[in-house]
Amino acid sequence: MIKMKLSARHLLAIAAAMAFSQAAFAQDAGRGKAVFEQCAACHSLESDHNETGPYLKNIIGRKSASIDDFIYSPAMRRANVTWTPDQIDAFLKDPQAPPFRGNRMPFAGIPDAQARADLIAYLQASGR
Amino acid sequence: MATRLPPVDIVIVGMGWTGGILAKELAQTGLKIVALERGAPRSTQNDFSVPLIRDELRYSQRHDLMMDVSADTYSIRNKPSETALPMRRLGSFLPGEGVGGAGAHWNGVTWRWPDHELRIRTKYEERYGKSFVPADMPLQDWGISGPELEPYYDKFEYTAGVSGKAGNIKGQIQKDGNPFEDPRARDYPLPPLVSNHASQLFAKTAKELGYHPYVRPTANASQPYTNPDGMKIGQCQYCGFCERFGCEANAKGSPHITVIPVALRNPNVELRTYTWVTKVLKDSTGKKATGVAYVNVMTGEEMEQPADLVILSAYGLSNVHLMLLSGIGKPYDPETQTGVIGKNYAYQGGANVTLFFEGKSFNPFIATGGWGTSIDDFHTNWNFDRGPHGYVGGAYISVGGSNGRPITYRPVPPGTPQWGSDWKRATAKWYHAALTIAASGAVMPNRYNYLDLDRTYTNRFGQPLMRMTFDFSENEKKINRYAAQVIGDIAKAMNPTQMGQATPRLTWSVVPYQSTHNTGGAVMGTDPATSALNKYLQSWDMPNLFVTGASAFPHNSGYNPTGPVGALAFMMADTIRNKYLKNPGSLI
Repeated sequence: MIKMKLSARHLLAIAAAMAFSQAAFAQDAGRGKAVFEQCAACHSLESDHNETGPYLKNIIGRKSASIDDFIYSPAMRRANVTWTPDQIDAFLKDPQAPPFRGNRMPFAGIPDAQARADLIAYLQASGR
Repeated sequence: MATRLPPVDIVIVGMGWTGGILAKELAQTGLKIVALERGAPRSTQNDFSVPLIRDELRYSQRHDLMMDVSADTYSIRNKPSETALPMRRLGSFLPGEGVGGAGAHWNGVTWRWPDHELRIRTKYEERYGKSFVPADMPLQDWGISGPELEPYYDKFEYTAGVSGKAGNIKGQIQKDGNPFEDPRARDYPLPPLVSNHASQLFAKTAKELGYHPYVRPTANASQPYTNPDGMKIGQCQYCGFCERFGCEANAKGSPHITVIPVALRNPNVELRTYTWVTKVLKDSTGKKATGVAYVNVMTGEEMEQPADLVILSAYGLSNVHLMLLSGIGKPYDPETQTGVIGKNYAYQGGANVTLFFEGKSFNPFIATGGWGTSIDDFHTNWNFDRGPHGYVGGAYISVGGSNGRPITYRPVPPGTPQWGSDWKRATAKWYHAALTIAASGAVMPNRYNYLDLDRTYTNRFGQPLMRMTFDFSENEKKINRYAAQVIGDIAKAMNPTQMGQATPRLTWSVVPYQSTHNTGGAVMGTDPATSALNKYLQSWDMPNLFVTGASAFPHNSGYNPTGPVGALAFMMADTIRNKYLKNPGSLI
């Protein structure tokens, strides 16, 4: 796991890089790290290290269901999306909404938009 | 002819909670450890992922994660005058099998049994006199005290990620916790789970009646958690598929996501699955274990694994069975009341009542395995005077609700037909609107409740089945009748639209599910004449044999056993590391 503290300039740069709806929230990757605790029992941030769920390193910009040695649910295989920040935000808001309905991630989602934005900032910062 | 394998330092039989704890803790010694597990390897990703794990028929009704009774089972009878018959379907209790053992499919409820349970004979005699304990009740102290076990309870709670609220930190009573618990050094690692509406209604009424409700502690994580070994536990999703199922969210403290993977990081620890231990091997003196014999159940090959130290950490009943099959310790005889192996087998009793509230909606499908609100006023509360009731023990009372699954959960008021249109209407009407108040009662040992080898029936290897002789004694009938009276009164005070009669358990049947809290048979104690193990769970007869599990409990309380099972395993590991290995031999 990458330990980091982001400066305000970094944050601005990240925010600027993400021109999408949830970018309306000031994002804090430090807070996002705490949000990621909800994911960490099943998802690793190390490359090529699948656990109960697929690893999330380089998740931003990745095609859905694209890790070769992870067995995805049929729903996730059919979804055919690219994990942009917007797409991740929509997925985490309601993981059982179309086009992912029926996927196997046993997680109810993150209702708080700010927490989702922070988490995405953390995934961006630590996912590279 | 069995193949003799290269010797190892330690062999561990059974890879559930206690086998995992021992393997993890002893791995640090660098000694070569082999763990043998008769069932399958298991992981969350391969075995517990949704939607497969939500198969109620496969896991709940057909017991996919449990012991296979076509390979090995128990013969059962209520009293010595009856002929025992083999249990051909699992019912009353559900021993686990496979990596993680019953820890993969438990509910998570984790109690600390207080000092007055561990020193039970002394405490009752001090308070009520020597004649209070009936002659046919071989009640005995465990050989340890509450304060001695406290640090190990703590270790287990922090390893498993228990959610709860302390009731007594270093003597200070804590608001909303269980005020009757023994003092503890610190709070649980996680705050209590969110309570359901049914539990809240119960808590409100219980408080009005002067009782002390609290949210009960359970290893269902209320928040994401990283345990002291760095293992990650996810947040409980309240899915209602907990007991009898593995957790797909890694949110239930289970050995396969905590202690076992930590142990297996060490190159000196090896796990062999599908290996069924049939016997502990002994030298010519009979005082020393030399290893174990096992069968590879995939190939049928017979193996001998020599080892300097043997640890039995299978399900408690299987530990007792292995000791009987291996001729370790003298088998118990109820007529002469001599011998120790098989002695003090106990179970759990109780009472329950279901309440129906027209117009209320309890959403029973939202549930965690162990959640609920309990009162300990008639159980752990030592100030509750048992004198007028004439019993040893007590019962704790809860409203929980571990599931609202379609096959299992169909509450209907008394008098409803068991099938047809009226039943359908009733089940639709009351599904959301029912709750159950349950009392879980202690069972004290009785001279005629015991385990031995069956004379007729054998398992898949031609070995005698273990025979279980058990029924509730007068002591338990008194506990359960009084518990029924108390929960009946609470139920009336909750003012339901309808309710059944609060019914105590007065006789035991192996058919309906009751509790997987089988205790005793290889009990710990202070005297080799009345116990199989000393307080470190070391065999009196064979100092290089240690035996974990609830089989070591000299009696059963109303509480779930996993708290002390885990604590005693941690204490055993410490003792082996710090004392036994430095000077192998009898520790007492």
